Amino acid sequence: MASALSGTRKEDTRAFWAFSLPAFVLYLFVFAFPIVLSAIISLSNYKGGQMFGGEAWKITGFKQFGILFADPAFWQALKNNIYIVLVSVLGQLPLGFVFAYLIYRKVVKLGAFWEGILYMPAIISVIVLGIMWKFIFASNGLLADLFTMGNTRHLIAAIDAALKAGPALSDEGIRHILAAMDPSIVGLLGSDPVAGFKEQLLPGGNPVIADATAFINDMKNYAPKWTPEFMTKQDTAMIPIMFVTLWCWTGMYIILFHANMEKIDREIIEAARIDGATEMQIAGHIVLPALSGIIINAAILCIAGSMNQFSLIWAMTGGGPMNVTEVLSIYMYRTATIGVNYPLSNAIAMVIIVFSFVLIGLTKLAERGLGGKE
Amino acid sequence: MSTTTLDAERRFGTTALGRTAAFVGKALAYAVMGFFALMAVYPILWLCMNSFKSNADYQLDKIGLPKEWFPLNYKGAWEIGDFSILLPNSIFYTVVATLGVLLIATLASFAFAKLGSKAKGPIYGSFVIGIMLSLSSLMIPLFLQISQIDLSIGTLLASIGLVQDPRSFHLFYNTRFGVILVYIGSGLPMAVYMTTEYIKGIPTALVEAARIDGASYLRIFSRIILPMCVPILTTVAIITLPGIWNEFALINIIVGKLDLQSLPLGILRFSGSRSTDYGKQFAALVIGLTPMLLFYIAFRKQITKGVAGGAVKG
Repeated sequence: MASALSGTRKEDTRAFWAFSLPAFVLYLFVFAFPIVLSAIISLSNYKGGQMFGGEAWKITGFKQFGILFADPAFWQALKNNIYIVLVSVLGQLPLGFVFAYLIYRKVVKLGAFWEGILYMPAIISVIVLGIMWKFIFASNGLLADLFTMGNTRHLIAAIDAALKAGPALSDEGIRHILAAMDPSIVGLLGSDPVAGFKEQLLPGGNPVIADATAFINDMKNYAPKWTPEFMTKQDTAMIPIMFVTLWCWTGMYIILFHANMEKIDREIIEAARIDGATEMQIAGHIVLPALSGIIINAAILCIAGSMNQFSLIWAMTGGGPMNVTEVLSIYMYRTATIGVNYPLSNAIAMVIIVFSFVLIGLTKLAERGLGGKE
Repeated sequence: MSTTTLDAERRFGTTALGRTAAFVGKALAYAVMGFFALMAVYPILWLCMNSFKSNADYQLDKIGLPKEWFPLNYKGAWEIGDFSILLPNSIFYTVVATLGVLLIATLASFAFAKLGSKAKGPIYGSFVIGIMLSLSSLMIPLFLQISQIDLSIGTLLASIGLVQDPRSFHLFYNTRFGVILVYIGSGLPMAVYMTTEYIKGIPTALVEAARIDGASYLRIFSRIILPMCVPILTTVAIITLPGIWNEFALINIIVGKLDLQSLPLGILRFSGSRSTDYGKQFAALVIGLTPMLLFYIAFRKQITKGVAGGAVKG
């Protein structure tokens, strides 16, 4: 292109620099310099404070990486990052493909409507969404109440059924009611729960229920309560985070895949259908191969996005309980802010960058192995 | 209805079994789609509903409608949450940084697409790699970098007597300038990539003809390239804007003082300090999500176009 205009090459080069300089400088400022700085600090014994002309610090080698790889918290964070990458690549992409296909083949109508709704969470701040989901998954949150509501309905149905025969409760009916009650409350009724029920829950031990509505109102509170412990138990704390990750960004891949499916020549699909191909065959043998390049690109975006994950987890759990939901970026943040260990923190930054590029490289290799094309 | 039946007949044949299978398949597809759509909408509706409950009401009943509508939650959240500071800040950062991204990216894209230099390949390549770089992994190095630059400038200014304490001088840390600069930088890779690929599609002959007529590059840029880029710049703007509005990880390390906080920062602070003040908490969250929801409703088509082009990362 430069040679297209003879005699102006020098001018051309000067203009190139003039136009690209602001962007290039900002790129260096936000991306390149921090990476270089991070690499240097990760190899040093820098303790904070003034870097130039302040307290002396020097390069001490790969010591920090040794400390890092010996820290169980590092492996925990790496594992969580891998969980998120997996739920993204193996959850968001396949789900996105299936939904996109349903819309593309018009198995469900009003495609734009569904796309619009399913994409909506992705536009909202993950801080807002993270706090919202924290309240839903909390041990006294919405989820707990929704399950308790189901149990209450079940209990009311059992009481209704027991009262159907007449206002007097039979032992059989009481046994059915007991079965629908909270076991911990049944336990309080003594060794013979039916007798205990009559004694303690029926006024004066009288099995005849005069006011069914009032009785049901009293009994409602004895339905089994369910306390979700996702956020408080260490081995389940990642589940809500993985769920919200799936919830938030699947819509994006529906739109991406659907838009690219629309580019496939309709006549190929028509011809396959006339030849008697089923929907599954069309999806597997025509649409999937046609989208292989896009799927690989999506997987790369997906991995990059997963490795970038910080804010959602920060808002939902802050890395807790006991650091079990930390991903590498939160671990890095904690090391720098609470431990004020800059070399270690920057070693983590290096690991994140190297790890994301290894994953992206593997994806590219998989693409070549599968013979995928752009 | 008749077209659906026809469609199903063509697809599954006309046997009774085929028709039943088609119907069951369709019903299943609608059920799954409906379930996921409900999952997307219900939590947000639930949040809105509970933002009108008093604390006592919420603790008694988390599922039903408010017994008594309590709009005062919003007044309380607005005042305690300092939304009169957060909202203007967020608008300022988002508008200025988005405009900055557009201008600087278009200038660079013109260079990458139509001007020549040996450095073109590596520089453009580094922007493309930047799309995949995890910015939240860079927040600590970035923080160290800006605080060190501030400190170095501060020391210099102190040595010539312009400031008393070198540590009191801030160019980037805790300044609007720092936030804007970092936001423009973080938005550049995707914007540069999209715009460059677009400008490559504009015939080079147009640029050459203008050069032969004696037009300067600046004139070519402003008179030919920029007007032709309006469609792609609209897409870039619509994709960049929510990203900046919702950004948290970077502003969290650049900004310490309340006066400069953006909505996500302020909402998280509010949430942490009043974790059992449910009504106000939910009202604050609703205030936080409303602007982007309105933006989405207004620009859904353009946002979908940008996402379809692969311009957003999850």
